[in-house]
Amino acid sequence: MNYPLARECIAPGVHFSSITDRKFKHNRMSVNLVINLDRDKVTNRAVVPFILRQGTKKCPDFTKLNERLCDLYGASLDAGVDKFAEYQIITLGMSGIDNRYALHGEDMVSECAGLLAEILFEPNITDGKFDAQETALEKQYLLDTINAEINDKRSYAMTRCKDIMCADEGCSIKKYGYAEKVEQITPESAAEAYEELLRVAQVEILFEGCGDPTAAKEIFRKKFEGTQRTPILVASYCGRNQQGEVKQEVERMDVKQGKLVMGFRVEGVTEYKKMNAERIAVALFGGTANSLLFKNVREKMSLCYYCSAGYDRNTGLMMVHSGVEAENIEKTKEAVLQQLQMMQRGEFEDKDITETVMFMKTALKATTDSLGAMDSWYLTQILGGTEVSPDGEIELSSQVTRKDVIEAVSCIKLDTVYMLLPKEKEGE
Amino acid sequence: MNKQLVTNGRLGESYLRVEHPSGLTMLLYPMQGYSTSYAMFSTKYGSIDTCFKTGEDTEFATVPAGIAHYLEHKMFESEDGDAFERYAKTGASANAFTSFDKTCYLFACSDHFKESIEILLDFVTDPYFTKETVEKEQGIIGQEIRMYDDDPGWRVMFNLLESMYQNNTVKVDIAGTVESIAQIDADLLYRCYNTFYNLNNMVLTVAGNFDPQEVLDAADKILKKAPELHIERKVAEEPAAVARKRFVQHLPVAVPMFYIGFKSPNAGEKQNFCNMIYDEMILDLVTGETTELYRQLYNDGLINSGIVGETMPGRDYLCSMISGESKDPDQVYERICRAFEKVAVEGVDDEAFERVKKSTYGRYLGLFAKPDALASAMTNCYFAGIDMYDLVELVANSSKEELEKRLREDFSSENSSLSIVMA
Repeated sequence: MNYPLARECIAPGVHFSSITDRKFKHNRMSVNLVINLDRDKVTNRAVVPFILRQGTKKCPDFTKLNERLCDLYGASLDAGVDKFAEYQIITLGMSGIDNRYALHGEDMVSECAGLLAEILFEPNITDGKFDAQETALEKQYLLDTINAEINDKRSYAMTRCKDIMCADEGCSIKKYGYAEKVEQITPESAAEAYEELLRVAQVEILFEGCGDPTAAKEIFRKKFEGTQRTPILVASYCGRNQQGEVKQEVERMDVKQGKLVMGFRVEGVTEYKKMNAERIAVALFGGTANSLLFKNVREKMSLCYYCSAGYDRNTGLMMVHSGVEAENIEKTKEAVLQQLQMMQRGEFEDKDITETVMFMKTALKATTDSLGAMDSWYLTQILGGTEVSPDGEIELSSQVTRKDVIEAVSCIKLDTVYMLLPKEKEGE
Repeated sequence: MNKQLVTNGRLGESYLRVEHPSGLTMLLYPMQGYSTSYAMFSTKYGSIDTCFKTGEDTEFATVPAGIAHYLEHKMFESEDGDAFERYAKTGASANAFTSFDKTCYLFACSDHFKESIEILLDFVTDPYFTKETVEKEQGIIGQEIRMYDDDPGWRVMFNLLESMYQNNTVKVDIAGTVESIAQIDADLLYRCYNTFYNLNNMVLTVAGNFDPQEVLDAADKILKKAPELHIERKVAEEPAAVARKRFVQHLPVAVPMFYIGFKSPNAGEKQNFCNMIYDEMILDLVTGETTELYRQLYNDGLINSGIVGETMPGRDYLCSMISGESKDPDQVYERICRAFEKVAVEGVDDEAFERVKKSTYGRYLGLFAKPDALASAMTNCYFAGIDMYDLVELVANSSKEELEKRLREDFSSENSSLSIVMA
């Protein structure tokens, strides 16, 4: 199967991967520092990209740094923290127009890669410390981000359910860390975390776009030449099986709509082909506007505006979530379980599979039309140790049979039910 | 059929503009090398259109808030099944949305484009509602409204619009309220449909990997000639002043969220849209990450997660909004107003103007690289009465003098307002 990503090791534990597609007008590059989620270190590490984003040794002034980005035709610089199974990913990324479209013939690839490398390798550290004020501000930002989990009730409820479900598993460690640990961050500790990241993280640099990646690759190769590295090795993750009674938790808050989240374990699916069948099965169950949950729980029963299922192959979890009136929450839960049991008994049509596969094909093809989507697709492939392109995934999907789908839903087990409900009115 | 190839030398690209005999305008933009295509069939009818009359009517009719959105939900049903089921057979990913001034039906696909475009043209031109199907939707939309009631990001913005506008219906929530939608029935839906889903009031935009001939064939096959269009929309007189200067709602959030709005004079639909380009540049120049204001706010710990500026143009309104999170939104508001006043008096620095022009150009260029962004932008431009390429030219030919004029007219502290959501 054709796998279009060119991947090259440019230093110990550092890879540069690229994909060239002339149809784009922009290029995107991202530097991903991958490290184990460590409950004690995660918070300190999470603050690093935000401090780096504020300026460099040569250009410590945030305002000046942003002027440089404006001059690069509004190139965008992003800094973020993500999570992949039991790993934390610190990302610095940049997107800018290609050389072909620059009004004055600027070498945009080199300019953008140069600036990105400067941000990563030449931070504003003096005597082993980041700037005190910047550290203080970014600590506050991190704390606000951690606390802001509560703002979006939909994602808050999902996170709460996963927290309860995977309380003692590595994958439940928060990517931004913990509020009580933020206070302990100092300009020294953040600088140490930065140094450690550069030393031990597995580094994945990705370049996607219409331009020639060579100049960018050489810039990063040179930068990494002088560094002493003892990189970690990313290993694949095995999810757990459901054990004991189904866990249930109810939380009350000042909300108008109730939220139901049901966490399921997808047991024993480790092979890529099986994961692909699982994706199709879960999409058929609750991932599309023609899925069983949409057709029955929303359209036929009018219980909710959304009721959908999503599968994360990296943790082996399937989450079902819905926003419903508190009095209908039990009814919705029963309806979801009933749909799952029907599917496990094979009570769905062959055309449901064909249609879901076609729907997935559109989504996979759309991946190849977006630089951002390609970036995350190929990073996931790299970290999962697989080499499947979106087209390869389409091919695999087209081979999924009815038997595969039934087998895929049969290994789904309910683990945890979480409900977020409005506060009970006084006097009731 | 009137077909015209529209070309832009700067980008070296072109697209096809078709005036179909049915009355529908089609803007078709094939993109080399792309795998997917994106089609959008839209009517110039949104949540603000709640008071109107057609040629035969003597009186203006007022319909319940949220009806355009309700109609959008109901359009997916027909006598023999719903549109999602039909799309399922082509693999297209379909959706729809209602905004203040338009309702759009769309799909993205990688295969079976011909079948999907036929479904799109067919179901949007074929309404079917019964008492039962209309009632069924109350539960679903009721839950959608509830979901937004709990969404602090949505609330803080709508509270601002309610603060800025005294009479304009842009201040009313797009989905309406549980009470207003309870008044909707099949007859009302048909009335709105027959008024606004006239092909002369609609546009079809397609971008990405497709053959324009397939669109033309589908249009010939499905679209019937629409009657002449006579819609009169009642526009409420809107004073320059805002309704309230400050509004606070309490919801469970970690850090207070704020939306600051500047109400600009209404310059008419097309001009509002053109003014948007300047107003976006002004937001960048005064509140963007390269400004002294931003640096100060950041250094003083007032905007840890940054601020975002956006300009919203419409038929009879134009406003710019700045949003973010802060422990002290009043202080942020105060400083932002002072910054606009200062630049209005002192004028804009030449170098800063050139820089923002360059970055705005880069941003608009990005629109031409994604099928969904391009189809949406073409729709917005068409309804505003300008060509897609004019956008890029407007940026490329923008002047500092015009920008300074817009700054003085569109960003007055007097006609501004602050909305806060906090715990």
